[in-house]
Amino acid sequence: MSRTITIEPVTRIEGHARITLQLGEDGRLEDARFHLTQFRGFEKFCEGRPYREMPALTARTCGICPVSHIIASNKACDHLLAVDIPPTGEKLRRVMNLAQIVQSHALSFFHLSSPDLLLGWDSDPATRNIFGVMRQNPELARDGIRLRQIGQTIIETLGGKKIHPTWVVPGGVSEPLSVEKRESMLRLLPEGLEIAKRTYAFYKTLVPKFKDEATHFGTQPTLFLSLVTPQGHLEHYDGVLRVKDAQGRILEDQVPPEEYGRLIGEAVEDFSYMKFPYYKPQGYPQGIYRVGPLARLNNVQACGTPYADVALAEFHMLQDSGPIVSSFHYHYARLVEIIYGLEMIERLLKDPAILDTRVRARARSNRYEGIGVAEAPRGTLMHHYRIDDDGLITWLNLVIATGHNNLAMNQSIREVAEAYVDGNAIEEGMLNRVEAVIRCYDPCLSCASHAFGQMPLAIELRDAAGRVVDRLTR
Amino acid sequence: MDKTLIIGYGSPIRGDDAIGPLAVERLVERGLPAGVEAIARHVLTAELVTELVGRERAIFLDAAAGGEPGAVQVHRLEPDADAHSTMAHFLDPSELLAWCRQLYGQAPEAYLITATGACFDYAHCQLSPVAEAALERLLEQVERVWVG
Repeated sequence: MSRTITIEPVTRIEGHARITLQLGEDGRLEDARFHLTQFRGFEKFCEGRPYREMPALTARTCGICPVSHIIASNKACDHLLAVDIPPTGEKLRRVMNLAQIVQSHALSFFHLSSPDLLLGWDSDPATRNIFGVMRQNPELARDGIRLRQIGQTIIETLGGKKIHPTWVVPGGVSEPLSVEKRESMLRLLPEGLEIAKRTYAFYKTLVPKFKDEATHFGTQPTLFLSLVTPQGHLEHYDGVLRVKDAQGRILEDQVPPEEYGRLIGEAVEDFSYMKFPYYKPQGYPQGIYRVGPLARLNNVQACGTPYADVALAEFHMLQDSGPIVSSFHYHYARLVEIIYGLEMIERLLKDPAILDTRVRARARSNRYEGIGVAEAPRGTLMHHYRIDDDGLITWLNLVIATGHNNLAMNQSIREVAEAYVDGNAIEEGMLNRVEAVIRCYDPCLSCASHAFGQMPLAIELRDAAGRVVDRLTR
Repeated sequence: MDKTLIIGYGSPIRGDDAIGPLAVERLVERGLPAGVEAIARHVLTAELVTELVGRERAIFLDAAAGGEPGAVQVHRLEPDADAHSTMAHFLDPSELLAWCRQLYGQAPEAYLITATGACFDYAHCQLSPVAEAALERLLEQVERVWVG
């Protein structure tokens, strides 16, 4: 008899999700699916609101990466204003965006994934958690707390608070940086970089132990999408879109972010509230691509900061040639980006121009349509607004980093389940690996639950025995 | 570093859930005695461990959802050695204390002072009358605890 295994909730991720594994009569995997079970509705309830409210409203999408939404939303508003923001305003936004990436990556690596990496996938689930990590490696746990605190403190110093700061505004930022604040942030960076380097060195010693997981955790070929600088270097705030394939061929390059709709289509399925974006030229569902740290590092020749460039070269050596295809190496890429983020923050803060007082361009709306794109910790984040003559939102679309990875995550859990799950003798460690491949992507599901067109809905009426007696779908 | 740290936490847009942060606001307005620091947070996150280490006393202020609305209670807290978080950005006070003890070998003497709320609806940015009245009683309890 065929069976369904349900993993619910998926643990140590942001938000609520379920995984179902459909097994055939022989106990072998027939299908695997990742379900986002929560629904929100920002695309609908933001309609009719003034566009200037969008940064504050859409930031509420997420308590982990509000800064990413604030940045992308304000960039969309800049586009509506049709202004170039002052260079110092842009630099200050970059600092905040990078601090967000540092703190979010630290949370993912130290708090959510390190229990698997340190204690093992087959270890006792009762102790396979952050307390287990504290017992085994307290220095690592302390480093994780401190690194996240450094990122959060930089956000708070700039924005006045850690969560949902309102300092980034359409046209730039609301206040210039004081000397005192700059110095207080600069003082944090040497310790942060020391922690990042120490953790990176430690993780490199762990990587060889995970050869098996690295060969089964999401190694199916996909495309990679990210922003890059016009020169092809690492970029998290601005730049142009690049798409590379699994063989390293560049399929799209120098694409202005405003043209994202030329590259990306969006589909929906009836088993999840997460959209299924795909690469349009390859169609749905063939056009699978990945975003986030793995994609960003695969897409660039250089980071542009000293230590991160060394780490990037080592990252590229994880494989003999071509882009790094295993999603397991998202962890590695995250650590490289933490180093980059701290180095780049230091560079930006040491630039004398960071103290310039012209930080905001002022204008009324000069366009009916605005698109803002930035790199969030989990990948490329797109905000797209249309407004009327009164500046009220008539339509919006949010393409969320985690959503881009939806097709790839579904593909990855299928791959891992095929490799590890034996339906005739299920063990906890097998199922934990299925969860762990999802953690590689560090999905943020509160962010990723978004509407597109008419969301599919199914209502089932079951009798006392659980038999479906009626089913309504739309 | 001040000997006593007060942490009021809760959402400012969920009605009476805001009582912890509002209590901190009130305390700061009235002036804190020497040796006492007060901070407000939406939720308790792991970074607070570094704020707690080295303190003699911690006082957490929160809204309670169960029981008679307006009731104010003082609980003595101990580190919860069995706690294990699956969401590392949302912890409870006992878990934070356990992180302190596990990672730094020490945790402050700690109290949780709660006021039971009547309304936790979304987009409510004011306290209900019953919570507003409880806020003053909660502040009295805070002063009793910090006096020791």
